[in-house]
Amino acid sequence: MERQTRTSRHIGSHVVMILWCFVVLFPLWVLIVNSFKTRLTIYTNPFWIPKQWNFGNYRSVLRDGDFLTYFKNSLIVVVLSLFLVLVISSLASFALSNWRGRTSRGLYLFFIAGMMLPIKIASIKLLELVRALGLLNTIWSLVPIYIAMGLPIGVFVLTEFFREVPHELTEAAIIDGASYLRVFGIILLPLIRPALATVAIYNLIPFWNDLWFPLIFINDESQKTLLLGVTRLFGQYQTDWSKVLAVLTLSAIPVLLLYLSMSKQFIKGVTAGAVKG
Amino acid sequence: MKKTLVLVMVFCMCFTVFAQGSKEASAPAAQKVTLTMGSWRTDDVEQMNNLLAEYKKVAPNVEIKFQPTNPPDYNATLRLQLDSKTGPDLMYARSYATGQELFNAGYFADCTDIPGLMTNFSASNLAPWQMPDGRMFAVPFAAVSHAVYYNKDIFAKYGLSIPTTWEDFLSVCDTLQKAGVTPLANGVADEWDILECFFLGMLPNYVGGASERVKYESGEKKLNDENFVAAYQAMADVAKYCPKGFESVTYNDSQVLFNTQKAAMFVDGSWTAGVYKDATFQWGVFAIPAPKGRKTAICFHPDMAITMNTATTHPAEAKAFLAWLCTKEGATTASKNLPVGYFPMINFEITLDDPHANEFLALNAGKETDARFVWPALMDLYSPMNQAVIKVMRGEITAQQAADSVAALKK
Amino acid sequence: MKQVRNSITPKGRYWILYLLPALLFYVVFMAWPLLDSLRLAFFTGNTPATRSFVGWGNFRTLFTDETHRVRYWGAFGNTWYFFFINMLAQNCLGMLFAVILTNPTMKGRSFYQTVIFIPTTFAVLVTGYLWKLLLNPVWCGDVLTKMHLGFLVRPWLGDQSTALTCVALISCWQWMGIPTMMFVAALRNIPDDCLEAAQIEGANAWQTFWYVKYPMILPVVGMITILTFVNNFNAFDVVFATENVNGAPSYATDLIGTLFYRVGIAGQHPIGIPDAGMGAAIATITFFVLMAGVIPVLRYTQKEA
Repeated sequence: MERQTRTSRHIGSHVVMILWCFVVLFPLWVLIVNSFKTRLTIYTNPFWIPKQWNFGNYRSVLRDGDFLTYFKNSLIVVVLSLFLVLVISSLASFALSNWRGRTSRGLYLFFIAGMMLPIKIASIKLLELVRALGLLNTIWSLVPIYIAMGLPIGVFVLTEFFREVPHELTEAAIIDGASYLRVFGIILLPLIRPALATVAIYNLIPFWNDLWFPLIFINDESQKTLLLGVTRLFGQYQTDWSKVLAVLTLSAIPVLLLYLSMSKQFIKGVTAGAVKG
Repeated sequence: MKKTLVLVMVFCMCFTVFAQGSKEASAPAAQKVTLTMGSWRTDDVEQMNNLLAEYKKVAPNVEIKFQPTNPPDYNATLRLQLDSKTGPDLMYARSYATGQELFNAGYFADCTDIPGLMTNFSASNLAPWQMPDGRMFAVPFAAVSHAVYYNKDIFAKYGLSIPTTWEDFLSVCDTLQKAGVTPLANGVADEWDILECFFLGMLPNYVGGASERVKYESGEKKLNDENFVAAYQAMADVAKYCPKGFESVTYNDSQVLFNTQKAAMFVDGSWTAGVYKDATFQWGVFAIPAPKGRKTAICFHPDMAITMNTATTHPAEAKAFLAWLCTKEGATTASKNLPVGYFPMINFEITLDDPHANEFLALNAGKETDARFVWPALMDLYSPMNQAVIKVMRGEITAQQAADSVAALKK
Repeated sequence: MKQVRNSITPKGRYWILYLLPALLFYVVFMAWPLLDSLRLAFFTGNTPATRSFVGWGNFRTLFTDETHRVRYWGAFGNTWYFFFINMLAQNCLGMLFAVILTNPTMKGRSFYQTVIFIPTTFAVLVTGYLWKLLLNPVWCGDVLTKMHLGFLVRPWLGDQSTALTCVALISCWQWMGIPTMMFVAALRNIPDDCLEAAQIEGANAWQTFWYVKYPMILPVVGMITILTFVNNFNAFDVVFATENVNGAPSYATDLIGTLFYRVGIAGQHPIGIPDAGMGAAIATITFFVLMAGVIPVLRYTQKEA
């Protein structure tokens, strides 16, 4: 009796999950399959494999846009920004979670207030600031902005996770003679790994896919990030959907492959039980 | 120990950031000058690069880089860059109010004294980029026209000829629809195309040319008079000949519908002519016909001009390029490299190679021409008029209501 | 650096050092530019040169002038609807998926988990363009009708009654991975003995969830709600990619994010003259709306330190 209910519950679950997988994978299939068709055949044959494989789209895209440079630029900017966001916001969150008092609460609200305002509104000031620092038209102009953008989320999530850690753990280590910094680095950081992964992922996507700041800071082809580089091609190819799809595929595939190759570790890292019992 | 390590790392990062920045600033000054040109025409990258390569033969030490921005992003990015003095050296200028505002803000340079500008263009071609006091803020570059693209093969198949009145046009649509062919490819999803190409393209038929337009601008004639109501009604009448689901048909979809022969006609601007250059069927253009009793007029719209940034670091070279565009050689080279469907505005006689481009120009013969109605002085009515046209096509409001809604907003 | 060994909880002076790097980047590159730009809400004028002080003028215009008022409340209402759909589809479904995925006897969990997160790795622009094509009746209409799926052939993104829901669902499709992931992490953190106790007491799945699991993951639920709320009020890219910056059709998909962009940054197409002061006014109001929503949720769901 028990086994029957368990399997029937699972069938329901599987049905739900398979339906969702279809909803996710079907558009992805459409995207990739149609990028190998020609401009007009994507209309006559929208869903199936191309009758005639056309690699010309990818050839044009790779010729018209310097994908490797764009990719390299995006990679440098994102990795650096993410690393710094994690370091800086975890230090700050550790402080905020341990420091009791009105100032601490005030600072906490000050940080998370940054999540609620569209940073685009400050564009002119930021543009002037970047120009004054001599960073205009370089990929380095993006790093400080992204760090500032990622800090509110980092502080928000990490402070909460630090607070979840039982205070006894910290106290015991302190009594044993460790400094707070030691406690931070050796004991707590590993415990909040899921939170760190969450903050990393939550910021990785906007950093990688950001279009706005590269658009206004960078004009030099050699400094463009991936998404900026490809959006110009949208305009150029706007009458040719199959080329647009090739562009979309090329811009989506790197992160997708990265994610798929690391998905096991990523899931383990995020969902690892932090504090049990 | 760990703390110092962290601090040292952070300082190193900051240091690299600043070092990289200063490296950029100390580029050696060379004999060669590089100018940047901004634009919203990302589709013309190839042609403009050809044009600029031709200019390099004239001025070998000057390289101009064409750096267009996608149309949806163009206004915002240009604005920001101009405000923070990081804009391109040369750029495309929109006509009338938009351009004037940027000139008033001090971003566009005064072009009045560029040699050849005041002499080689007619007054009506200079007007769109002229301030009320006569100063020019850009060099006219290209104009566009609007007409009905039609599939000659389909017309031949059903024994149809080019309609000369609006009523004929509707009956041609009717015949095609009964035969199972979508008559018109136009949709409303992108919003701007139905207004700029279709409604404003045919408005001169109802409202008249420039001399009549100023009467509306001054308030002498009302924006909901019988001319306008007739125009809105015409849009309501053609809605049923647009593709099924036209609410979702985008501008690019319309082009595909015409190109795959799923639709027989497409009311569009001349700038799309190049898209169909390798079409598998015969096609031509005809003017949007006026109703019986009215005169057919053409909306021939001065679209693009090029101007220079007041904050440019190379004013002499930028000015030289603009002056070149005012000479016969420069204008001819420019016209030869313009995409199909863009027409030169200079006084010299320039023959275009493409037969379809000439077909467009031939439509102007014997007809009054005017720019798009709202451009010169009524730009803040652009959006309300756009929404009114879309609503009337969807059957949500009547033609009278549409006209009234726009007239009510005229200050 | 002298080690603080005597007091268990150091004073603020010690913690400030940890906060310095964060404060440096945050203040220089976010707080100060934002505050300076918000100051613009009290000014009018299109360029730095033509600015003039108008006090509350912008706010007054926003709520009394006919065009501004209609657009603002339209966008405001649309954004709440967008948030509602997001909470329902994205967060509730995310919770459902998380519960399924933390069922220890279920097979294929890692596969499903991987797949759920795939759309989240795409740029919003990619998703927008892709769904724009998928929902386009011109593209697949003929084939669908032949497959007897004619009822799917509708101008989904062009019809005022369906456009906003579609755009909201596209946004959910994209971001579903994040709430799912965070809920899975939270559910895994629930101590086993709580679950065993519930099982011994004879609770069924629904009761276990509602009375045991849900209260324990309430902080994470609160966090997700806040993040969704804030993101929806700033949402812009998804509308930009699937429709246009006006929130076509007829402003049906106009959100506060697109309104702000149109008014304050880009200006109405094709004129393109922005009003930075008005944009700042809109952003300021949004900020207070968000604060008004976030603080109560924070109080209710987060453990007080």
